Amino acid sequence: MGMALKSLEYILREVGKSIRRNFWLSLASVLTVMVSMVILGGSVFFLLNATKLAADFESELEIAVFAQEDLSSSEVQALGERIKNLAGVADIEFVPKDQALREFAASMNYSSIVEDLGGINPFPDKYTVFVVDPKEVESVALAIEKLSGVDKVAYGKNIVEPLLKFTNWLRWVGTSVVVLFAAASLILISLNIKTNLFSRRKEIEIMKLVGASNSFIRWPFILEGMTLGLVGGLVAIFVVGLGYNWLAENIQATLTFMPVVNDVKLIGQVLGSMVLLSMAIGAAGSFISLRRFLKV
Amino acid sequence: MIQLTNVSKIYPNGAKALVDISLKIDKGEFVFLVGPSGAGKSTLIRLLYREELPTRGQVIMNGKNLIRMRQREVPHLRRNIGVIFQDFRLLPNKTAYENVAFALEVIGVGNREVKMRTKRVLELVGLAHKEKCFPHELSGGEQQRIGIARAIANNPSLLVADEPTGNLDSDTAWEIMELLYNINRRGTTIVMATHAREIVEQMQKRVVTIEEGRVIRDLKQGAYGYGA
Repeated sequence: MGMALKSLEYILREVGKSIRRNFWLSLASVLTVMVSMVILGGSVFFLLNATKLAADFESELEIAVFAQEDLSSSEVQALGERIKNLAGVADIEFVPKDQALREFAASMNYSSIVEDLGGINPFPDKYTVFVVDPKEVESVALAIEKLSGVDKVAYGKNIVEPLLKFTNWLRWVGTSVVVLFAAASLILISLNIKTNLFSRRKEIEIMKLVGASNSFIRWPFILEGMTLGLVGGLVAIFVVGLGYNWLAENIQATLTFMPVVNDVKLIGQVLGSMVLLSMAIGAAGSFISLRRFLKV
Repeated sequence: MIQLTNVSKIYPNGAKALVDISLKIDKGEFVFLVGPSGAGKSTLIRLLYREELPTRGQVIMNGKNLIRMRQREVPHLRRNIGVIFQDFRLLPNKTAYENVAFALEVIGVGNREVKMRTKRVLELVGLAHKEKCFPHELSGGEQQRIGIARAIANNPSLLVADEPTGNLDSDTAWEIMELLYNINRRGTTIVMATHAREIVEQMQKRVVTIEEGRVIRDLKQGAYGYGA
């Protein structure tokens, strides 16, 4: 216990001393982590928004199912049950013929249409069907068409395929950007850690020579890596958080049709993860780079 | 204390540094390793503090087998061995005092103990008054004294030195030898590789001559024994 406390005291003192004595190198490390995390965090927000945009587009894909006109209301209800039970159907929404007419009247700004038609409603009962997977729109539509009581099925047959192509591309680009910048960040940070360790290889060599145990050599470096990661990460989320906020406000003001991720909890989680990640990278980077030095 | 049995060291590039060497060194001995450059003296020294492992053969130290020793036992072995180099190997950004104290701190010695022992060894090497100097402010001989102070700070039973006087003029070299002589007299075993013929001849200690990786002569109170 006394020994462990002594060691802890030594380690903490050593971390503080090392950061002060290697001030410029430490500053370079903090900046490296910061720049890497700003890039990475920025690309994660890009991915989030690309995904949201894709999901938004895809949610527009729905199937309209028109019931045959001669069905009784209980038969229409039974049809709804059967549609709901089909594989690939997420949800259905019933639009009764009265509502369809009213909505049509409202959209045409022709409120007297109901009277003008003399009580005849040309609209059929309709189900709006949402699918689980947008890729299955076509097959689900075909399955519904075969059900008895169905008069007609309509879906954006011509736009489904190009739309899916576009949303897939959007996700792919978003993911690639994240992966690419994550790799770049890792390279940047590990290069920086190697430079740090290289400039101190003499120190490590002598520690080994006089019989310092590996953990004794390792801990100050790992803690130092974590500390520098923490500082860099905190600065980075400040930059990314403010930058994203500014950008989101501007986009929402000018491109009103663009969906923007503004879920505070999600954004908080991303920023929190960035800090944890930069601490983890600092610690793991020191640990991995040290292995080469600690081998006899 | 040290027993080498049929030790060979062949480097991955095929160079044979040591060939079938058997050597026994007793506690308290002062042993010179002499021989031409590249004969294998440094390799032999490095085997002793387990910086390297032999390709074949056994190295036993204080009853411990260095070849079968696990990696995490190595630090404990080294705490009992002091090492001195030709190029001193001091940390340039630490003062004389800090260089010595550092060696004790990193093996977990407590604060008060570090202070006490550092002061004591600095006095022993005659540099207590220069404890605040950085290495570049010290002469070569003084730097080597700090190196020695660091090596003996933990009171090791074995001191190995690879050409400790190689970078020093002859007067300074003799001062260092006097220091090593005194350390040896207090019971510390010393193994020293050297090219300094004059020193070896005057010290009248055991001389092991190595040539092309083999021990070709081992004299109890020897003179410098090759190339003569």
